[in-house]
Amino acid sequence: MISDYIKKKQILLVDDEPELLDMVVSILREDGYENIRTAGTVEEALKEAEKSEPELAILDVMLPDGDGFGLMEKLREKGDYPVLFLTARGEDEDKFRGFGLGADDYIVKPFLPKELLFRVAAILRRSYKEEDPLVKLSGCKIDLERAEVIKEGERIPLTAKEYELLSALYRNAGRIVTIDALCEAAWGDNPYGYENSLMAHIRRIREKIETNPSKPVSLVTVKGLGYKLIIA
Amino acid sequence: MKSIPKLIRRFVLILLLSIFLFLVLNIGFLVFYTVGHSSNGGPWTTAQEAAEAMTATEEGYTLPEKMQTELESKNIWAVYIDNGTLKALWHSDNLPDTVPLQYTASEITSLTRGYINDCPTFTGTGEEGLMILGYPQKSFWKHMYPSWDYQMIESAPRTVLLVLGGNILLVMLIYLGANSGLLRSVRPIVDGIRRLPEGEPVRLKEKGILSELAFHLNKASEVLQSQKYQLMKKDAARANWIAGVSHDIRTPLSMVMGYAGQIENLTYLREEDRKKASAIVRQSRRMKGLINDLNLASKMEYNMQPLVREDINAVALARQVAVDFINMDVEGRYPIEWETEDALTVCRIYADKELMKRAISNLIQNSMNHNEDGCTIYVSVAAGGYCVISVEDDGTGASDEQIEKLNHAPHYMVCDTNTTEQRHGLGLLIVKQIAESHGGCVEIGRGGHGGFGVKIVLPVKD
Repeated sequence: MISDYIKKKQILLVDDEPELLDMVVSILREDGYENIRTAGTVEEALKEAEKSEPELAILDVMLPDGDGFGLMEKLREKGDYPVLFLTARGEDEDKFRGFGLGADDYIVKPFLPKELLFRVAAILRRSYKEEDPLVKLSGCKIDLERAEVIKEGERIPLTAKEYELLSALYRNAGRIVTIDALCEAAWGDNPYGYENSLMAHIRRIREKIETNPSKPVSLVTVKGLGYKLIIA
Repeated sequence: MKSIPKLIRRFVLILLLSIFLFLVLNIGFLVFYTVGHSSNGGPWTTAQEAAEAMTATEEGYTLPEKMQTELESKNIWAVYIDNGTLKALWHSDNLPDTVPLQYTASEITSLTRGYINDCPTFTGTGEEGLMILGYPQKSFWKHMYPSWDYQMIESAPRTVLLVLGGNILLVMLIYLGANSGLLRSVRPIVDGIRRLPEGEPVRLKEKGILSELAFHLNKASEVLQSQKYQLMKKDAARANWIAGVSHDIRTPLSMVMGYAGQIENLTYLREEDRKKASAIVRQSRRMKGLINDLNLASKMEYNMQPLVREDINAVALARQVAVDFINMDVEGRYPIEWETEDALTVCRIYADKELMKRAISNLIQNSMNHNEDGCTIYVSVAAGGYCVISVEDDGTGASDEQIEKLNHAPHYMVCDTNTTEQRHGLGLLIVKQIAESHGGCVEIGRGGHGGFGVKIVLPVKD
């Protein structure tokens, strides 16, 4: 599901616990990530960032010579890349502060390896487009860059709403996306009352992407809850 | 503050009643006093009776023996004067030598109004003459010019009433003036006493007639505030302590969880070793849940968790939580069934989104924790007068006794007595705390699927 290109991204990992650093590195490496740099302090992190030009930073909030929020601001001065906080502080205000400053995600310790891996992959996929942007489904390919479905050699254009819905489903490929989250993706912050419209759009998307739209295999319904995009 | 007008009414009533009683008592006393001192009929009456009692005999005029004795016993002398000659026709034996026996008309006028030799004199008219009685000196004071303006006498009742009314008004004004000062001093004190039990700080100006009361009230408030501060400090210290401990446990637990998570996926290990690693992961997750719960429960208990309330759709929220669990449950041991009616797409509540998510997650996690062999979890939202979010399962469930305890026995975290009996997890306590902080409640029971079931009942937003 996760394309190889994201595994080559440069990751900067900052935490003052050497053992935790080792563990996170081993989790990432085992999943195929190749370029990981580590640092234990703000100073080291800034030096490392100068050298390696990271494409994702995973930061602890509490560091011996400063905090992760300050570090993120300094890193952002040099380059605009995604930041994921990995911290033992689970306070809501910390989360809001992190998101307010533009953090891309926030994981509270303790965490499971697969949770970390999923979030890292999601951030990277969101932030960096694949060189070959074609999403392969069982009966077709989707070119999200050009908002088109390529089915049996034919290019079928997607409408704006269909594109929004497919993008949201693709970002969470293999996972259920709720009806409400899809409505929000397509119709904005106050998505009440669009459930029927959503069903109509899903039907039209299926006509474009499924071999047999009445028996969908790529865009499946999870009754009452939402939809799931299955990538081949 | 309702007591102030009541107090004024009471004061005025007491005043009016006092004035009325004073008047009645004074008039009564006046009547009693006057009547008491004129019970002998007065000197004028005595003189008239003596004049009428004079009888002419062959030896001249005489006064009956009985009357003579009575007059003498009171040291009263008497002279009876002829109408024509103005000479004494008769006189009592005790007549002083200085009293004349021959009178002129002007002397008669003078003695009628006044005195002879400082003895107050009173006259009575007989058939032939005039009876003059002389009382001992200083026995009576005589008003010598008893005449008043007629109009004054005529308007006397009105004047008296007016003066009386004026007096009452004046007394009332003085009284109200004096009392308004008192009431002004009482008002802040009443207000202060009202604020004391509400926990607000009270600081009154310590001046005026009730300054001592204000001083003691300020003192009481200071003591209460200090106690409140101490209590808050203690609560904050306890919550911070729990937050600190849970923070410090997170990093080591990350290592346990992380490495165990890696080990459970190592394909070259024996199945049973991987299972052991899985058990460590499972238990670590429980510990993670406990840490999170402990932290939140203590914050909610000590009112340190701010509620960020907003208008949210409970259906969307419950659906998102259910989906998050489904997305995480790779092994499929805990399938989740969405049982909300299709027609219900929106159920608006005014709530803290994160806390409500936490409550529903806790219920789902609770079903998982108590059914290690797996179970189906049923999530639903129903709207009526209330928003009811249900999480039920078809697992092992709980006995009636356990359900009764969960519904009614206090949790060890909030129990101030013996805690040996209350050893259940924090998950449900948090759900209760969250529901209650949103004006709702929690119903724990069996549910409709043979296992355990919990309903969160919340007020809907209009």
